[in-house]
Amino acid sequence: MKEKIKEIEQGALAEISIAGNGDDIEKLRIKYLGRKGLITELFKKMGEVPPEEKGEVGKLINSLKNNVAKALDDKTGSVSAAGGAKLEKIDITLPGIIKETGTLHPVSQTIREICGIFVSLGFKVVGGPEIENEHYNFEALNIPLEHPSRDAFDTFYLADKWLLRSHTSPVQARFMEKNKPPLAIVIPGKVYRPDATDASHSFMFHQVEGLAVSDDIKFSDLKGALTVFAKRMFGEKTVMRFRPSFFPFTEPSAEVDISCILCDGSGARGGTRCSLCGGSGWLEILGAGMVNPKVFKNVGYDPDKVTGFAFGMGVERITILKYGITDIRMFFENDLRVLKQF
Amino acid sequence: MLISYNWLKDYVDINMPAEKLAQILAMAGLSVDSVEEKSGDSILELEITSNRPDCLSYIGVAREVAALTGRRLKVPSRVLRTVSGEKTPNAVTVKVENKKLCPRYTALVIRGVKIGESPKWLKERLESIGLRSVNNVVDITNFCLFETGEPMHAFDLDNVAGGAVMIRNARKGEKIMVIDGTERALDETMLVIADSGAPIAIAGVMGGIKTEVGMSTTNILLEAAYFDPISIRRTSRKLALSTESSYRFERKVDMDNIYYTQIRAAQLIMEAAGGKSEGYIDIGEAAVTKKIIDLRPERVSKILGVEIPASKTKRILLSLGMKQKASSKNILKLEVPGCRQDLQDEIDLIEEVARVYGYNNIPETLPCVSEKGDRQPIDIIVDDKIRDTLKSSGLSEIITYSLLSRKVISMAKLDDKDAAVVKNPLSAEQELLRPSSIAGMLGAIRYNINRKNSDLKLFELGKVYFKTAGGSFKERRNLTVGLTGEIHDGWIGKPRAVSFFDLKGITETLFLSLGINDFSVREASEGPFSPAACATVEVKGEPIGVLGEIDQGVLKNFDIKDKVYVLEIDSESLQRSVALKKYFNEPMRYPSASRDMSIVVDNSISNAAIISLITDSAGKILKKAKLIDRYRGGQIPSGKTSLTYRLEYQDVSRTLEDKEVQEAHSRVVRALQENLGASLR
Repeated sequence: MKEKIKEIEQGALAEISIAGNGDDIEKLRIKYLGRKGLITELFKKMGEVPPEEKGEVGKLINSLKNNVAKALDDKTGSVSAAGGAKLEKIDITLPGIIKETGTLHPVSQTIREICGIFVSLGFKVVGGPEIENEHYNFEALNIPLEHPSRDAFDTFYLADKWLLRSHTSPVQARFMEKNKPPLAIVIPGKVYRPDATDASHSFMFHQVEGLAVSDDIKFSDLKGALTVFAKRMFGEKTVMRFRPSFFPFTEPSAEVDISCILCDGSGARGGTRCSLCGGSGWLEILGAGMVNPKVFKNVGYDPDKVTGFAFGMGVERITILKYGITDIRMFFENDLRVLKQF
Repeated sequence: MLISYNWLKDYVDINMPAEKLAQILAMAGLSVDSVEEKSGDSILELEITSNRPDCLSYIGVAREVAALTGRRLKVPSRVLRTVSGEKTPNAVTVKVENKKLCPRYTALVIRGVKIGESPKWLKERLESIGLRSVNNVVDITNFCLFETGEPMHAFDLDNVAGGAVMIRNARKGEKIMVIDGTERALDETMLVIADSGAPIAIAGVMGGIKTEVGMSTTNILLEAAYFDPISIRRTSRKLALSTESSYRFERKVDMDNIYYTQIRAAQLIMEAAGGKSEGYIDIGEAAVTKKIIDLRPERVSKILGVEIPASKTKRILLSLGMKQKASSKNILKLEVPGCRQDLQDEIDLIEEVARVYGYNNIPETLPCVSEKGDRQPIDIIVDDKIRDTLKSSGLSEIITYSLLSRKVISMAKLDDKDAAVVKNPLSAEQELLRPSSIAGMLGAIRYNINRKNSDLKLFELGKVYFKTAGGSFKERRNLTVGLTGEIHDGWIGKPRAVSFFDLKGITETLFLSLGINDFSVREASEGPFSPAACATVEVKGEPIGVLGEIDQGVLKNFDIKDKVYVLEIDSESLQRSVALKKYFNEPMRYPSASRDMSIVVDNSISNAAIISLITDSAGKILKKAKLIDRYRGGQIPSGKTSLTYRLEYQDVSRTLEDKEVQEAHSRVVRALQENLGASLR
């Protein structure tokens, strides 16, 4: 009997060790532990065991039963962990369930980016009204009534002296009237000009204006700050060029160009004239200058005690250049196929 | 202003190709739009800023080139020091009636000219810059305008009635047929040159056809003058007539240049067309006092951020035609030439120094200024938070025009009675400033649907505008959200149409992200919305906006077939309730117990009424009650709704016993049965 027990145990453990899947294990469980299983049969044969051995044999059979049951359980665990037959595989090539996120308007994104750069340089963001009066839009900025310098600022009027601001510069004057230098601000916002609409003109667009005033702001600071801006906005290898120009509210004034982002300033692409810069290698991106002492006088600052620089840029223009957008009207059509690209 | 490279070389030696010249000019502030090769010549298109009328002439541009390249300016000399008859003012009578608008008027008579074709050199000069040759006399006046910047006009003296000219304001009802062949009605603000009968020219703008110099002309009157810039500008604008002449008078011509141009023109005319000058009349200010500016050389470095030696500063300014009047250690006194009326103050001279020194030779430094405190105002912070929340909720931002037509406003059934009106729109699309952005939202939705983008979740942050009682205006920030089409859950779930509750959910998500917990809706009826699903949104009991389904009639006006749900919020009122500051709350230490409850009530009973009753009856251990299922039809009697609520009970200081939860729950059930006629399911 004892030998029989040992034989069954060896056989069972050997068979279990080579069982490859759940079905094999189940068959072995029936073979040994089932109602007519080999171990169950051993219990039935206890009657044949002499009374003095009954205690010992009973213990042996119980231990055999426990060992085999444990071996079967362990095997079950290892077989299913190894990817047993009972698990159904999924088709991992089915598409993922996408949770569609929205998108911010490219103009908003560019405004954030521009303001972020200047905030990192020590500036703060300031807002101002879109409905302005002639004083802030023109006179305070040294743009006299009925002067040819006003031609650059055609304006929508709402009533006598009330108009839609044609640039964000009025906020300069408003801010300086209420605050003492030193100051460094950027002003994003909508502006309006009665221009006939085409691929590069819109009667409504966005500008970001900047102004820094202290007892020691120099033209070289303007160059430095704008160069940091251009490199962060358009890439480290961007080169800047400052050309003398005229704005009534700054002096000296400059038009600022960056090296063309398509041809890297060479003026040519693939042997032909670059389509973006027209072959010049430069792209005009903003106007800037040192604050005209007359503007300081108008807001009650002493031009002998403070100096400052100011700049203004068109947000759509910057965005168009950055992404190669072909038509300014796209910004206000709001075609989702366009918006979703940003 | 078109500049012929060959013509320009008459006034200054240029030892570089046109492209290089263009670059030098551009870097000194004379922006060059294009350089074009044209039959052995190069034509530079210069964009002259409004402060530099002196560069609206060849001599002016040549003066600039001379200063920038260190060459000498070559101004054509007057061979005849005096024109014969110059001092015999009896050939014609000139009377300046309005000296304010015409401070200087000169006239010269030339008798016996022979009108004919212009000499070859003259034709070539004019044609190189795209001008059509007319005849020798007219061509000379045009040539002189471009050469000197002083507009000239020649009258056929025999057609000047009474042989006298008067410079006066036009009289009421006067008209003139000008040389472009149109008849212009004049008003009393406009200055004219008149003969004894009627106007023969609109002063500084255009001459009349009656005295135009033509083939039969033999005697001419040459005019060179200074007209008031503002008066010329007004007249030119009123008549919508801008000419080479008016363009220059508007920008102020050089008073010192008038006599020179008059004599230069006379000389050239006599060379080309013969004749004899008979009289020169000069009325008004003969000379202007020259402006003297004090320059502190240390201010140059202070403004520019680069050390430029005083000697170099002086050299630059002298090369531009300035004359040194005196100098001390700290101050340079400089007299400005008459052609540079834009130079008025010290800063103007500093700009001249910077421009010639070269902006590109000024170093780059960083400004030493830094704002203290918040870097963004609260309204921009709130707007950005709104943008980020809505974006992560799947909405895309749009920007629509602030200016709209009255028609679009009425298509959206919006009220335009307080809308601000634009006085000078370019088209009917710009008549009004929007009093609401709903019309713009519907326009964007239609635009997208027409392009097969039919599932849309959009928002716009922007201003709306109103006129106020006192004749003034106000503007405020505004948020609009628009939903239409279906919501998709990939291939797992079925697509379903968006509903009012998706919009309401977005609204609630937005409020919670802004720290606003106390909000509710109230049934309402508003212009663009369907009365079946429209509500005002209230925060702390104050209405701040409206949400609902857009009225079918409005959708039809916009040619939209799908249902559209729109939210519009006054984001300034919203901002007053925003609480972005976060406070830590320790998570509850004791577990909560959840109990679900399904009840059947009449359809007329609102969710809000049930929640309110649950909250009142459950006692303070109720933490939260929320609707988790709603069902109508099937096993439920008609007119009734089945609702399932999940009630969560919790105590901050201990674990609740099953018995007390059961008691509270039973209280709620009883209250619902007794007060709302609910039955348990």
